[in-house]
Amino acid sequence: MELYTPVIALAAIAAGFAVFSIVMSVATGPRRYNRAKLDSYECGIEPTPQPIGGGRVPVKYFITAMLFIVFDIEIIFLYPWAVAFDAMGIFGLVEMVLFIATVAIAYVYVWRRGGLEWD
Amino acid sequence: MSFEAPHIEYATLSPLLIVFGVALVGVLVEAFVPRRLRYLVQSVLALVGLVAALAATIWVATDLTVRGDGAARGSIVAEGAIAVDGPSVFVWGTLLLLSLISVLLFAERHLDGGLSAFAGQAAALPGTEAERQASTRGLEHTEVYPLMMFAVAGMMLFPASNDLLTMFVALEILSLPLYLLCGLARRRRLLSQEAALKYFMLGAFSSGFFLYGVALVYGFSGSTHLAAIAEAVNGRIGGQGLLLGGIALIAVGMLFKVGAAPFHSWTPDVYQGAPTAVTAFMAACTKIAAFGALLRLFYVAFGSAERDWTPMIWIVAILTMAVGSVFALSQTDIKRMLAYSSVAHAGFLLVGFVGLHEGGEGISSLQSVLFYLVTYGFMTVGAFAVVTLVRDAGGEANHLARWAGLGKESPLVAGIFAFFLLAMAGIPLTSGFTGKWAVFSSAAQGGAWPLVVIAVLLSVVAAFFYLRVIVLMYFSDPVGDAPAVAVPSILTTVTIAIGLAATVVLGILPGPVLDLAADAGAFIR
Amino acid sequence: MSATTMVRAADDLSAFGGDSVWVVLLKALLIFVVLVLLTLFNIWWERRVVARMQHRIGPNMHGPFGLLQSLADGVKLALKEDITPKAADKVVFVLAPVIAVIPAFVAWAVIPLGPEVRIPFTDTVTPLQLTDMPVAVLFVLAVASVGIYGIVLGGWSSGSTYSLLGGLRSSAQMISYEVAMGLALVAVFLYAGSMSTSEIVEAQKDVWYGFILVPSFVIYVIAMVGETNRAPFDLPEAEGELVGGFHTEYSSLKFALFFLAEYVNMGTVAALATTLFLGGWHAPWPISIWDGANEGYWPVLWFFGKVLCFIFFFIWLRGTLPRLRYDQFMAFGWKVLIPSSLAWIVAVATVRAATLDGGIDRRYMLYAIAAVAVLMIGLFLIGGGEKEEEPAEAEPEPFDAFAGGYPVPPMPGQAPASHPTSTMSTTSPGSSPESRQES
Repeated sequence: MELYTPVIALAAIAAGFAVFSIVMSVATGPRRYNRAKLDSYECGIEPTPQPIGGGRVPVKYFITAMLFIVFDIEIIFLYPWAVAFDAMGIFGLVEMVLFIATVAIAYVYVWRRGGLEWD
Repeated sequence: MSFEAPHIEYATLSPLLIVFGVALVGVLVEAFVPRRLRYLVQSVLALVGLVAALAATIWVATDLTVRGDGAARGSIVAEGAIAVDGPSVFVWGTLLLLSLISVLLFAERHLDGGLSAFAGQAAALPGTEAERQASTRGLEHTEVYPLMMFAVAGMMLFPASNDLLTMFVALEILSLPLYLLCGLARRRRLLSQEAALKYFMLGAFSSGFFLYGVALVYGFSGSTHLAAIAEAVNGRIGGQGLLLGGIALIAVGMLFKVGAAPFHSWTPDVYQGAPTAVTAFMAACTKIAAFGALLRLFYVAFGSAERDWTPMIWIVAILTMAVGSVFALSQTDIKRMLAYSSVAHAGFLLVGFVGLHEGGEGISSLQSVLFYLVTYGFMTVGAFAVVTLVRDAGGEANHLARWAGLGKESPLVAGIFAFFLLAMAGIPLTSGFTGKWAVFSSAAQGGAWPLVVIAVLLSVVAAFFYLRVIVLMYFSDPVGDAPAVAVPSILTTVTIAIGLAATVVLGILPGPVLDLAADAGAFIR
Repeated sequence: MSATTMVRAADDLSAFGGDSVWVVLLKALLIFVVLVLLTLFNIWWERRVVARMQHRIGPNMHGPFGLLQSLADGVKLALKEDITPKAADKVVFVLAPVIAVIPAFVAWAVIPLGPEVRIPFTDTVTPLQLTDMPVAVLFVLAVASVGIYGIVLGGWSSGSTYSLLGGLRSSAQMISYEVAMGLALVAVFLYAGSMSTSEIVEAQKDVWYGFILVPSFVIYVIAMVGETNRAPFDLPEAEGELVGGFHTEYSSLKFALFFLAEYVNMGTVAALATTLFLGGWHAPWPISIWDGANEGYWPVLWFFGKVLCFIFFFIWLRGTLPRLRYDQFMAFGWKVLIPSSLAWIVAVATVRAATLDGGIDRRYMLYAIAAVAVLMIGLFLIGGGEKEEEPAEAEPEPFDAFAGGYPVPPMPGQAPASHPTSTMSTTSPGSSPESRQES
């Protein structure tokens, strides 16, 4: 735990600075009310009405997010394997190649089915 | 850093590995084989894979090592994660046989104008132009085959897992493909998608229960290995509350998969919404796998704590039988009715499970439940296969009113369906009777006779709603224009024939399969 | 390398965790100050260098060489009105810049700036690194991904279309490139046998991993540009399309905080690249002949020299390359970087396993590598050459240069009109990817 506590010190300094800046800007900045200024900025045209809660997000983003999770978990398996690789030798190599191949099969499927295409 | 390479017994695990491998190859086929060839390649691949796995299972079954006093055979492999013993192999064989005939149902393209029962493009919104285009272009999702193979692999791993974490992984492997498959119906897609979502939500929730239970049991025993847990339970070390809480939560997760009341509420919706081929596969195979795992978990790991969990299972069993039998009476949809019937069957199976009869004289609880699962599996797949045949312009005609007068319209189909219903009701000379007899007699010998009395009474109630459908088919006139009975291809015909044959043979000559179940012996620890 | 040097002891982090509270606070404060100064310097440097590249002079009025320009800009921002749009989700809107800034600084907690030194005027000996842990690099990645929340939430909470799109783009972009970045690091851990930053630097005493693991290094450098939303990957704030992207609605010091976070993040990825691939604080070759180069406070100089080289590289890229189109950018990440990193990991691991005791016969290994290479190339050709078959069955629409009565540019895949005067073009079926038939 000793190794992790210094992080808190740095985080506290950074947080203090950020909060201070935000409070500061209220105090130092001018306040001149203008209704148009508080509208969403859309290059001068009437702002598009926003659906509550941001509305629907294109499904592409969800696919990317799911793929990210798959690969991120693969990475999480790869890290300890890499660190302990020398101890595991050939066995570690074979098993990890099998694992990577399994993920690669899903990856190839996604690729071929257009899951990686953006338009 | 010292490291001991784990030892994996590839030969003993070959049935599992074959099914997983075929599923992976199926994914590659989806990626690279041209669309017009995929249906053929996928269905043949699935069939060949399942047959190969079945052959491997038989080979493994003949090669099991006898342990100790000879009551159990098999070995614990993959560093203690998987137990390949008699019951495992028996369940594997049953699952593979039922999966084989389910694949035939999946591959049926004769009933709906040359299209399979699965959505042309699952991503297209129901009722949109995209959906219409997908169906005019004759698209179909051949992904169902790899998905099904993954589910089968998970189902095989589930009852064989000797470690709670492996069991959880298996639970997820079998569940996730099923959630997807449920949402892929070609007709009535909103209902299908609703079913998939409900199943997913509740399934995820129950997995959470299971996992929390695993955590508590780990807290109690300091291990996730069933043998170590059994030792801890036996010695009553650790906090009692943790153990009881863990057992209860794990039971919730398991009983959900089994479809026992009060965790049955997903069953009717999902069975109704899912494509009928998937319903058949799911109803039969999930129940078998889940009961296999339930038996192993409670007999091996929590065996010494039976006083703690039998009262709970008694109540659940009574409730399940009652809910299944009574609610089925009021159903107007044939698939919902069969769903409640499967809930009732789960109740009867729980009676056998909680009988805790070790064997000696008569048949043991394990043996009776395994036998019941075989009989249940074949008649369920058969019955759902018949359901796919009765159709009208909108697809399958599932409303009971549409089945009125089917006996005059198509005596053969009505006769076969009536026979399946009689088997489910447990009329003598059908496999349903021998199955119920096995389960009830072992439970009675195990001392659970009050439960058996209740079960017999409730199976009389259950018989009533099965007979209602038979009366409807034979003794009432069709309302409006009668639904047509579609002529199936050889695939569905074979499925129904096998289901029918198994139901008849197991009803008249249960001996060989009972012996096989007895031969499986006990679970190894 | 002989096999005996390969098997390493477990991480030796005994130098860390023993600092007194004062030393910890002092080091934390120093890191903070250094980062703020580095940011101010970087902004000025970027403006000067880009100006030179464009034959301008750049800021030269405030302070010597205009060095105080960024400070003046900061003060100016503080004196501007702090606007919270009325469509914004107030709490999240205020919180987002804070969430973006904190992780940017925290990631520096595990960056080794130098070896163990004696604090001047005292007897305390301490490493020039706030702390270290057995999973330090993972910690950096984890903290950096928290920073993404700041950007996403900022875009979401602004209640503006541009901001939302910017936030979405940036989340998709960052997670896509984070995979490539994470995979690039595997080879380093494989060689270093550790994930602790100080251990990794120690392991590069003789040879820097940037030289022996060139593909990893290249992939990391590309991914780090994508991670920090810098040109040519600055799509989340593409001013030509999205005004300012996720920070369109931000003003005053909240905007400054996002700006700060971006520049500190640049520093973070550069420092990580230095640590993992360029030997950290170790002196570069000609200087390393001098024995004292890796002792005392000198290494801090080498370290920041390397970091500034990376920063210069960032600026150079910005001054040189135009922004990528979004689909090209995502395709590059998912279809080039990720598969090549996976292939590279397998190759490195195979070579490594072969050099271990009782390894594979070299000959078989070469065959295996050849087979894998052929397979990979094959997959690339098949996978890259053919697109999804759905569009293949639809006829490509002929490009109409005046669709709807207005002149429009061709969509991706549409061939432009072969004859400038005709409104109906003659598309050549073989050239567009959609029209290729499945084999």
